[in-house]
Amino acid sequence: MTAAPSADDMKRWLAAVAQDQDRAAFGRLFQFFAPRVAAFMQRAGLNASEAEDVAQETMVAVWRKAGMYDPAQANVSTWVFTIARNLRIDGARKSARAAAGVAVLSYETPDVENSAEEDTLASERDARVRRAMATLSPAQASVLKLSFFSEKPHAQIARELNIPLGTVKSRARLAMAKIRAILEQEP
Amino acid sequence: MNAPNHHPADETLGRFAAGAIEAGPRLVVATHLAGCPQCRARIRSFESAGGVLLDSMEPATLRADAFARTLAQVEAPAPATIVPAARDAAMPAPLRYYDLPKWRAVAPGVRWRRVVLPEAPDANVIMLKVGAGQRMPNHGHTGVEYTQVIAGGYTDAFGHYVAGDCIEMDEDVEHIPLADRDGDCVVLAALEGPLRLQGWIARLFQQFIGI
Repeated sequence: MTAAPSADDMKRWLAAVAQDQDRAAFGRLFQFFAPRVAAFMQRAGLNASEAEDVAQETMVAVWRKAGMYDPAQANVSTWVFTIARNLRIDGARKSARAAAGVAVLSYETPDVENSAEEDTLASERDARVRRAMATLSPAQASVLKLSFFSEKPHAQIARELNIPLGTVKSRARLAMAKIRAILEQEP
Repeated sequence: MNAPNHHPADETLGRFAAGAIEAGPRLVVATHLAGCPQCRARIRSFESAGGVLLDSMEPATLRADAFARTLAQVEAPAPATIVPAARDAAMPAPLRYYDLPKWRAVAPGVRWRRVVLPEAPDANVIMLKVGAGQRMPNHGHTGVEYTQVIAGGYTDAFGHYVAGDCIEMDEDVEHIPLADRDGDCVVLAALEGPLRLQGWIARLFQQFIGI
């Protein structure tokens, strides 16, 4: 297997897609992200075929929205993650959306403007998050992953991991608080 | 509006960032985010965590023609994007894009309406408008209740909350909110799991929502 692309590689490829509709660059992004989005969606409860559909839709959106990507706002991985997440939410309500004509995806509506507080440099934020995640205990990491991959209530997670409900709650809160504490440290 | 004092738990913001939260609570949290730069910054951090998780996934095996089929799709014209129209500009985003029925009186000084989410018609999401100085119904819950204060304020045994605040009440907690004396209190509330209610609001929910 070749080495994982760097964050800067990904930014260059995405820029090539945006500016020149560069298919080779798109192919590299596809090769890295499509199998990982599919894997993520399988962990989140979709079957292999649904997960691949979401991965494919995500890559189509990456192609179409490449020109809207702002490297100051997020790393490419984070940006792709949010696209896949929105499609995951969207997939569950496709028929309803068609009926209602409502396209409320998230809080990112035209009415909301970013504040200076939100505009921490994306690369700095990503580096901090990576550090924070490396310091989580295995137990905290497993609860964090469950929070990310499932929409299960805590009670159900507790049953599945066979640990008390209070433990699930405190681990989830500790994991999130730890990430936040590292994020909010002065550089 | 001043910056809010009460926010969703980090863990809730994490699930929102991951897309792993039920539709009702998602609308409540999204409405909070529209007025809370601090929580939007936290969401960005949790989205970064999502990006890190995505990078670290063991790649799945795709069908052999996956890339070819994706290329075929990008060559097709993009579908038109639907730009939503605000239904009620007085409401904060994104709540204003939802169909909000007329208020209905349900008890002295208390009006309510159900917010129907096209994406999740079964979600238990309501708005309550409680007159100045009036009590909201005493209620407990079997799941977490997410409340965003839209206008006015209220007090219960746990604190005082005003417009912009978001409150999570754990299961097994009962409270009797009292609206501030200086005006109507309007809240948006969503429940995870079924409601366990006492008195008139129980009958109301049974009648209109069927739980």
